[in-house]
Amino acid sequence: MVEYSPSPLPERAIYGFVLFLSSQFGFILYLMWAFIPESWLNSLGLTYWPQKYWAIALPVYFFITIVTDYVLLFGINMMSTSPLNSIHTIIDNYAKNQQQKKYPEEAIPALRDIPISEVNQMFFLATK
Amino acid sequence: MEDERSFSDICGGRLALQRRYYSPSCREFCLSCPRLSLRSLTAVTCTVWLAAYGLFTLCENSMILSAAIFITLLGLLGYLHFVKIDQETLLIIDSLGIQMTSSYASGKESTTFIEMGKVKDVVINEAIYMKVIYYLCILLKDPMEPHGISQVVPVFQSAKPRLDCLIEVYRSCQEILAHQKATSASP
Repeated sequence: MVEYSPSPLPERAIYGFVLFLSSQFGFILYLMWAFIPESWLNSLGLTYWPQKYWAIALPVYFFITIVTDYVLLFGINMMSTSPLNSIHTIIDNYAKNQQQKKYPEEAIPALRDIPISEVNQMFFLATK
Repeated sequence: MEDERSFSDICGGRLALQRRYYSPSCREFCLSCPRLSLRSLTAVTCTVWLAAYGLFTLCENSMILSAAIFITLLGLLGYLHFVKIDQETLLIIDSLGIQMTSSYASGKESTTFIEMGKVKDVVINEAIYMKVIYYLCILLKDPMEPHGISQVVPVFQSAKPRLDCLIEVYRSCQEILAHQKATSASP
């Protein structure tokens, strides 16, 4: 079994440096494309580049997506919460099919899902 | 024998729990919810009528005002008849079953009865309802599996009492259910 650890490795340093260089290059290219006038780019021979409209539109789209994601995530969480009368608040498939192993006395019992009736009796009936 | 205690619900409102012990095998718990407050009623009416007046100043049609009055009246009647629950009752009879009654503010009562052969247990469960709440629920037996649960029926859904009230009701119910299991196990 391979040991996964978060420690620095030479390969990871190289990946990081390549990512740093390419992201800096991409940013300088974006700035140049956005600011240099169309005529200068054409005179250099670069004619088939996207419209400058997208230099503003794409960042705006991106930020609106982030704001919408906050609302969307909250909504998805609300929708996937089980209602109060759902059986999923009590039990699920793994707990239904769990095996009961016989354990010797004096040993620590194995981990298992305790039925809700037992839990209730221990919490609310035992403290008298 | 009857006694009454006051508790609070999950939002902080006052609830009154009335317990009646008719016999060792029959008990009733009656939770009274807080009444419709005059403050919230006036607030809702004022907002609806102010909005209608605002629309009237925009379009100069006086039908809007009479429509707003109509809507307010109908809305109040519908709310009292279909939504606002005044009292919730849980009646446990040992060998017979469990009955839940909700009485609405307009006088309407709706009753549900579950026979004792279907009842597996009455437990206090925790679930998420905008925050984590405790609620009492009846677990029904599964005819296919001997130890399975087929359905969960929550009780006191509109009163939503807190844990101290639920523990009282839970202990009384468990006394009756233990008594019922003892008598049914020994034929």
